[in-house]
Amino acid sequence: MPIEITDIERLAQILARSGVDTIEIEEPGLTLKLVVDTAARIAAPATPAAPTTDHFVTAKADVAGHFLAAHPWQDKPFVAPGERIEAGAIVGLVKIGLLYAPVVAPTAGTVDAVIGETGAMVGYGTPIVRIRPFN
Amino acid sequence: MIEILSVTGPASIQDLGRFDQYRFGVGTSGAMDDVALRAGNILLGNDENAAGIEIPMMPFSLRFGRDMAFALTGAGVEAEIAGRAVPPWWRSHARAADILNIKAMPHGARLYLAVSGGVDVPIVLGSRSTQFRGEFGGLNGRPLQVGDILPCATSTATIGELGVEPADITLARPNTAADETIVRVIVAGEYDGFDADTQALFWSSSWKITPQSNRYGYRLQGPAVKPKAPIEKRSHGIVPGVIQIPPNGQPIIQMRDAQTSGGYPKIATVIRADLWRLGQARLGSKLRFEQTAYTDALAAEAEMSAYLERLRANVRLVEETRTCR
Amino acid sequence: MTAPDRPRISLLGTSALLFEAPGTFDLPHQRRIWALAATASKWPDIREAIPGITNLMLTFETPPRQLDDLITALNESWDSVESLAIGGREIRLPVTYGGEIGSSLRSVADHCGLSIDDVVSIHAAPLYTVFALGSHPGYCYLGGMDPRITMPRRQTPLQRSAGGSVSIGGSQTGVSASPGPSGWHAIGHTSWRFFDPSWPTPAALAPGDTIRFEIKQVVR
Repeated sequence: MPIEITDIERLAQILARSGVDTIEIEEPGLTLKLVVDTAARIAAPATPAAPTTDHFVTAKADVAGHFLAAHPWQDKPFVAPGERIEAGAIVGLVKIGLLYAPVVAPTAGTVDAVIGETGAMVGYGTPIVRIRPFN
Repeated sequence: MIEILSVTGPASIQDLGRFDQYRFGVGTSGAMDDVALRAGNILLGNDENAAGIEIPMMPFSLRFGRDMAFALTGAGVEAEIAGRAVPPWWRSHARAADILNIKAMPHGARLYLAVSGGVDVPIVLGSRSTQFRGEFGGLNGRPLQVGDILPCATSTATIGELGVEPADITLARPNTAADETIVRVIVAGEYDGFDADTQALFWSSSWKITPQSNRYGYRLQGPAVKPKAPIEKRSHGIVPGVIQIPPNGQPIIQMRDAQTSGGYPKIATVIRADLWRLGQARLGSKLRFEQTAYTDALAAEAEMSAYLERLRANVRLVEETRTCR
Repeated sequence: MTAPDRPRISLLGTSALLFEAPGTFDLPHQRRIWALAATASKWPDIREAIPGITNLMLTFETPPRQLDDLITALNESWDSVESLAIGGREIRLPVTYGGEIGSSLRSVADHCGLSIDDVVSIHAAPLYTVFALGSHPGYCYLGGMDPRITMPRRQTPLQRSAGGSVSIGGSQTGVSASPGPSGWHAIGHTSWRFFDPSWPTPAALAPGDTIRFEIKQVVR
């Protein structure tokens, strides 16, 4: 059976969440190797991420779909530059099918920039919002 | 359990309804926007008929007595759980003692709060829906009051935050102006009792939903629509969606708490697939009727079912991904 | 167009269908409706068959793809059903006519060109038959009212009418089982329990039962 793009997306999600960084699938006539950059991700939701060397932390998409800076019913985007946000705050949505998956702030801080553009296709790990952590 | 801290207007416990008690004079009750209640239950992995709270007015607040997943669907509201904003058509997780605060309702007319496992009031005559007229079902057959404690089925599932696309985006009707609702109707028994001009007036008018509109019925205001000669019917069964024309010519749409029978002439009936749209139409807003054929009405139901099936499949995909962890 | 002696069948959206028998509002016609209800309630995809006053509503478990078969079946059954005589119970109901709850007693008398005492004695004379249940939980539509006290329904329904109200709407009469909106004219009241969801059958009365109103008091 051929592997669908959606299968790959799902596998990538599963890998990311399980902390496995590489998987290879071999079937007759087909080899798939997925390598996931788990380092930043694993630290993110569980504990506040340590500020990176440039003192910014990035909220990233963790599913593939179309980015929405605001809910379609709301004019105001979830966050705007200069806004102070808590760890776990929703900074945007990724629309995949009928689902709206949240993009969450990995750490508390001040929004430095909203990188994602509404309607743009994003994938696993696409940077969405740059945050300057407190302290 | 859940404790009601503040309530405005007649909030009530509703499931999908009580559908097989007409022969005792018992109407359906049930969620005015059944699509929204189903969506909330789908988000939580509940039985889609699980009871939730229908909230027609703000402000409203409650306290969760223990850790619990919940979902908000239906109207678009400004809601916060423990100070965090909850987007529309969203599931989230509350911890014991967290307070859910709903401040304003900028979009739609009825919010649904579903909780993991459902609100566990007793089933009366096959349903947990509140029967206001009969004073049974729901919580003691009455609207919710400050201090009410609602039992909730036990569920320990922890689930991540997730939203779904609101039904009125996916199932949007073409050519609908802002603050206007268009519903499809099938003509009813006395349609031919109105002359052609009056029929045309019924279709072309933009009807105002008056403040005297509620779960019993929507009283509309517009040009008088009167039959060629007065029609006095023998009492017969009616269902939610039936549009009656009382002698003053101002239509009344029967809703979920309507009487189960009536005798005013019926000009048309709102199709089942569009009843939820009425449930989200705001007082003072405009309503228009669009004539549809029976087969097209069935197609509209199929479209609504397909939306719900896509919701189920999409949400299931997320759960399967999670259980692979 | 339907011939005047043929039943009228119309849709109530996609949820139900209404069958209206031709002919007069009387017990023989109603007995055929009860028989048709008993038959139709067993048909596939029919959730309930609910008798009204010489009419029948069928609610759909699933809306039928094709309505023609159902319409044919209804017409054929109507032509072939035997009348179903239900031997019901007889209930005696004491009624206080007039007063605050029965405040339309005077307007019914005026409308019909009768005295208040005439309206009361005409209303309390017959042995009424429960033709159907409907409107609200436990409410009974009664057949047998004298046409001399007919009064058309209200132009605009009342938002709230008291529980136990004995009312006239058109050529029908009945007793409300609980407070609620009504387009009828209340001429009296009774205190009796018509409905309790905890009873094995939640409604006290059923089609075929009979009621006799006893004049307890007339308040002018």
